[in-house]
Amino acid sequence: MTESPTPRFRISQHKRLAWWGSGLACLLSVVGLLVSWLSPGIGAPLKPGLDFTGGTQIQLERQCVLSACGSITVDQIQAGLVTLPLPAKAKEQAPSLTSAKVQLLDGGQTLLLRLPVLEADQSQAVIAGIDRLAGPLKTTGTSVNTIGPTLGSQLLQGSLVSLLVSFAAIALYITFRYDRVFAFLAIVALAHDVIITCGLFAWLGIFFGIEVDSLFAVSLITVAGYSVTDTVVVFDRIREQKKALAQLSLIEQVDVAVDATLTRSLYTSLTTLLPLLGLIFFGGASLFWFAVALAVGIGVGSWSSIGVAPTLLPVLSRR
Amino acid sequence: MARQQGWFALILALAIAAGALLASFPLQLGLDLRGGSQLTLQVLPSGRVKTVEKEQLEAVKDVLERRINGLGVAESTLQTVGNDQLVLQLPGEQDPSRAAKVLGTTALLEFRVQKAGTEAEMQGLLKLKRQVDAVLALRKPKAPAADNSTDQPVEAKPSLSAEDLAKALTSLGLGVPPGASETDQLELLLKEVNRRVVALFEPSSLTGKDLVSAGRQQDQSANGWDVTLAFNREGGEKFATLTQSIAGTGRLLGIVLDGRSISEASVGPEFKAAGIAGGSASISGRFTADEARDLEVQLRGGSLPLPVKVIEVRSIGPSLGAENVRTSLVAALSGLALVAVFMVVVYRLPGVVSVLALALYSLFNLGVYSLIPVTLSLPGIAGFILSIGMAVDANVLIFERIKEELRAGNSLIRSIDTGFSLAFSSILDGHVTGLISCIALFTLGTGLVKGFAVTLAIGLVLSLFTALTCTRALLRLLMSYPSLRRSSYFLPLAQLPPAST
Repeated sequence: MTESPTPRFRISQHKRLAWWGSGLACLLSVVGLLVSWLSPGIGAPLKPGLDFTGGTQIQLERQCVLSACGSITVDQIQAGLVTLPLPAKAKEQAPSLTSAKVQLLDGGQTLLLRLPVLEADQSQAVIAGIDRLAGPLKTTGTSVNTIGPTLGSQLLQGSLVSLLVSFAAIALYITFRYDRVFAFLAIVALAHDVIITCGLFAWLGIFFGIEVDSLFAVSLITVAGYSVTDTVVVFDRIREQKKALAQLSLIEQVDVAVDATLTRSLYTSLTTLLPLLGLIFFGGASLFWFAVALAVGIGVGSWSSIGVAPTLLPVLSRR
Repeated sequence: MARQQGWFALILALAIAAGALLASFPLQLGLDLRGGSQLTLQVLPSGRVKTVEKEQLEAVKDVLERRINGLGVAESTLQTVGNDQLVLQLPGEQDPSRAAKVLGTTALLEFRVQKAGTEAEMQGLLKLKRQVDAVLALRKPKAPAADNSTDQPVEAKPSLSAEDLAKALTSLGLGVPPGASETDQLELLLKEVNRRVVALFEPSSLTGKDLVSAGRQQDQSANGWDVTLAFNREGGEKFATLTQSIAGTGRLLGIVLDGRSISEASVGPEFKAAGIAGGSASISGRFTADEARDLEVQLRGGSLPLPVKVIEVRSIGPSLGAENVRTSLVAALSGLALVAVFMVVVYRLPGVVSVLALALYSLFNLGVYSLIPVTLSLPGIAGFILSIGMAVDANVLIFERIKEELRAGNSLIRSIDTGFSLAFSSILDGHVTGLISCIALFTLGTGLVKGFAVTLAIGLVLSLFTALTCTRALLRLLMSYPSLRRSSYFLPLAQLPPAST
């Protein structure tokens, strides 16, 4: 292995494209987060879901097949909810249901209601009310989630803390295993992947009302771990061949390393994406956006480990 | 060679052990997979208690456990979470609202005696209370029976005219908030009346602590239910003295639950001599059958040392749970199949070996789940599915290395060995960073997040083992057959250097 290998693919020739692409994606993401923050309907960088805001979510399945029980519209149900009397404790007032959001799934077979925080008997009253409007309902197909506002803020706090702690721990481990420039770049790549994943969900929140929950925070942490793994494979190779390729410039060394690890970078991402595709297509609604966030993060992570972190290495090492 | 066979025997033994574990300890499914409800209760500090201590949490748990047993719900579990939370799980199709109501109240029962010289005031208040109660009872929505289009209150028969209501409110010193409906005003009035009624009683030393049991029976008119109480010896004596002190005076005995007067009873002059002896009493509060039963359960379980609040209710119908099992099984199997096809197509013989190792990996995972045991939830299954992808990553790194060594003209056996040893460093880094994420998630996350972190962490640890040991042992075993020892089973011939040894 003494002759210097000639890489088929030179990443250094494409670095401008890589930097522009990544820079643009990061910019769009930050803009998305800001737009989401400034928009009156959301008021946060990402649209917080039930987990963080607190509230009650009720999912109901209708017993009859669609043709038999007739169609029902979102407006009908919303109107029914507003006039629905709710039981309340003597000293408290029942929450108003005017802010309720109704969604029809499976072509109207399944109803999804998003309501303010309800007491257990109040949600029972809502279910009974819907039963009269759109019933009969399948009792075994009902799901009720109530997250109190205190728990919501606890969950949000817990998610943020675990995000920060895991990022810091990963950064620490990488600094310990590699020299400082490598560690810094691995963390830049990590930030790049996390920002773009968040940015995408900010835009999804703005245009399609997609919300983030505690599973989204989990996906970010997993993406962070994965992104570093991916970047490390390339850096490991640069470190390993440093002696053998000492006569080459750092830019050329990076080109050789990226070329040699290109297939495995793509394949490792692909083998992780394949099971996630299984989750996205067959895993059902509750894990759909979780799997999407993971898939996006892993895709972007693969990109940053090939196009961003290695091409920045010569730039930083020169100084 | 003997060493490889030793590894192989170990792997086989582990596989059999995992299979046996799975057969004897079936996997535990979380509520989101089998249907059921989960309630999270927050214990609130109150009075002198500023922060909830471990013992207090346990004391609350004891009381709640007795209440749950009283309710007769099957297979429920109650666990403490963190410093001040309790999680109750009710499997199957059981109504969580009932449990929420029964568990959420403090149920502090007190017997109070009316203060002397307040007879006239008490009469007035109780009369007003009965009136308001009756009016409100008619306005209460009868949820199951009501027609959905007409929610106007029915014409109230025992009515309280607007002037009377206003007069009553001002006489009690209550201002009417702007925009309050008549029902709101009535409730405001009732609340104030109740507060004043309670204030007219003075506390005694007889409380729910002096009870040995509680029961219920239909009242004489058979319209409602009474809750019966049996005192311990000391309680019986206190009750006798208490009733003796007010017998025949027209002063009332108040039974106060959580600061609310639920029953006011007079004691006839015939008890002047010895009070009501016998150590038992009954509360006639015109309860419904369910109310009486819930109160009985609460009194028998004792009052909560600290108030609790239901902060989370999650319930999932059994058919939804079954649907979740089905979809996640399909997702996991399709993920495995996609990965298997990919590996065989790209890596040929070692691809087949990695698929075998992957099958073993899945078996080991399930074995560990039943050993620990891990309760599988939806996020947990997602963690497992994701860990499949990461387990294969290790194989990809190794096989790519082997290919590279082969292209450089090394012998097959040598390439395999260097492939494993050179790929180790990046595999280890990848797994350690993954485990760091899992530890952060596990220590800081909540139930759902923990489920994901646990299965992903188990997967990462096991994949280190299967990728480095199982794949290697299997590959070495196959290489002991000369007919399989061909580089073209690893790499297309075109990519091999011409002078391959």
